[in-house]
Amino acid sequence: MLHSSSGSGREISDSTPSVSHGKTTRYYGKSLKQIAGRVGLYAAVALICIYSFFPIYWMILSSLRSPEKLFLDSSLVFWPPDLSSYKSLLQLTNYPANFVNSVMMAMATIAVATTLSSFIAYGATRLRFRGKTTLVASMLFAYMFPPLMLVIPMSALFRIAGLADSLWGLLIAHLAISLPLAVWLLWGFFKSMPFDLEEAAMVDGCSQFGAFIKVVLPLSAPGLITVGIFSFLLSWADYVFALILIMSDDRKTLPVGLASMLGAQDLRWGEILAGATLIALPLFVIFMFCYRYFVAGLTAGALKG
Amino acid sequence: MRQDWRIIGLFIGGVLVLGTIVGGPLLYSIKLSFYTAASFIDPPQWVGLGNYVKVLSEPLFWGSLLNGVTIAISAIVLQVVLGVTIALVLNRQFVGQTVVRALSIVPYFLPTVVACLITQWILDPNYGLLKSVFASFGYGMFDWGGNSTSAKATIVLVSVWIWTPFVVTCVLAGLQSIPAQLYEAARVDGAGVMKQFWHVTLPGLRSVLIVVILLRGIWMFNKFDVIWLLTKGGPLNETETLPTLAYRKAFLEFDLGGGAAVATISFLMLASIILIYLRVFPIDEAKQGR
Repeated sequence: MLHSSSGSGREISDSTPSVSHGKTTRYYGKSLKQIAGRVGLYAAVALICIYSFFPIYWMILSSLRSPEKLFLDSSLVFWPPDLSSYKSLLQLTNYPANFVNSVMMAMATIAVATTLSSFIAYGATRLRFRGKTTLVASMLFAYMFPPLMLVIPMSALFRIAGLADSLWGLLIAHLAISLPLAVWLLWGFFKSMPFDLEEAAMVDGCSQFGAFIKVVLPLSAPGLITVGIFSFLLSWADYVFALILIMSDDRKTLPVGLASMLGAQDLRWGEILAGATLIALPLFVIFMFCYRYFVAGLTAGALKG
Repeated sequence: MRQDWRIIGLFIGGVLVLGTIVGGPLLYSIKLSFYTAASFIDPPQWVGLGNYVKVLSEPLFWGSLLNGVTIAISAIVLQVVLGVTIALVLNRQFVGQTVVRALSIVPYFLPTVVACLITQWILDPNYGLLKSVFASFGYGMFDWGGNSTSAKATIVLVSVWIWTPFVVTCVLAGLQSIPAQLYEAARVDGAGVMKQFWHVTLPGLRSVLIVVILLRGIWMFNKFDVIWLLTKGGPLNETETLPTLAYRKAFLEFDLGGGAAVATISFLMLASIILIYLRVFPIDEAKQGR
């Protein structure tokens, strides 16, 4: 009874011309609104792209201008590119030496931080001992300390230990900032890995150490890559520790070496911007190939701040 | 599971190294703050709380604290507002979504030095891009480093540019966890876009935002490099913050004890604020274990 009445009601309203007309205008209006929405969306997206990338584009562009045009030209085209800023950067400044120092620091930090953090994180997930939670929580705690609270005592301690103005000292500092982060990231990774795999390997006669090397580490490649990338970022971009712990020009790393050019009497903007572009270049390349590890690390709490 | 001595050995070795290189300096920093040394060579002398009393009685310390808090809070508010807005846009379906998302994170991975040098170049009083833009409208370039407000604003804006992508990435991840049914239910109940945002999106992002604000707050408060690279604490200490003050004391005035005292005090303040914050906004266990 109820069903039939409602059915007939719909039939009547459907056949009424005015209602169907109302429906079409509403549909038409909605599509207009949708088009406006799409246009607005793409405008917002374009704005985000410009906001995020224009300053970087402007740096690259300016570094490719000839010295005469650098201070006069504000067009957005860099063609034809002029490499004279790069040439004088590499020939007249300490940049090549700084570059080598930075690469050595980054490589050493990646190698040591990844190795040590995998030992610590694996032990913290698989060994039985009291205070595990405290240990892992203290990694997060280590993020919280002001960098100055680490670097002031380090500068004094390194002086006593004969590591003043030494890249070995700087390596210790870079490890001190990257290890807590690396342990935290890998701990999350090892924790989510099923224990069954190692147990199966151990039943087959493998030792726990053997299972760690042959089963766990190969399977953790994505986690290890993420840790490697973030150790690299911390070391490559570090300014505070290198500024305070390194004094001589030929031992400086790229960020400090480049920033010191800013304080010079004659502001050589072309060279400075070419240097800045070259610091960013390796990051762009890694970023293009390892984008998903960057995002994975970020959401897992890999912070660089 | 049988415990392997090699695993135990490597674990203990790793923890010892980590403890030495992180814990050692931290403890030594606290020790230093109770001593005074006229230079790096002379034997330090015990002064008890002398460094703390001296530091806390300086107007510069309180000015630096205020500057640091002002800069940190303005930067965080802008980062969160802008970060949520960008994330909401990037969460929509559009052509090239992956590329744009990747592009929007780039500033976060740029070394701070590079970002600061770009800023200095764009703001250069003689040759900068901003000067040409102003000139085309018939205005002269203002001296951004010359007064307190514009110097602080520059630091805040550069920080926002660098670190907003962190907020965007976290919020984008958070948006995935809000069930689509909630939006449908809200729509059925007649909620418009704004209402959906206030009653569905924001509550859904609550736990993400609590963590993001906490972490960004810690990092902004401890920030040294952006400020040092842009203004060196100037003009007239107007952008001096506790980290730059600690640096100035320890390495420009050669007062290691005073620098260590400033760093320790700023850490204690931060730690107590974090404890209060976590009491007010507890992070649920589920989120933390992720």
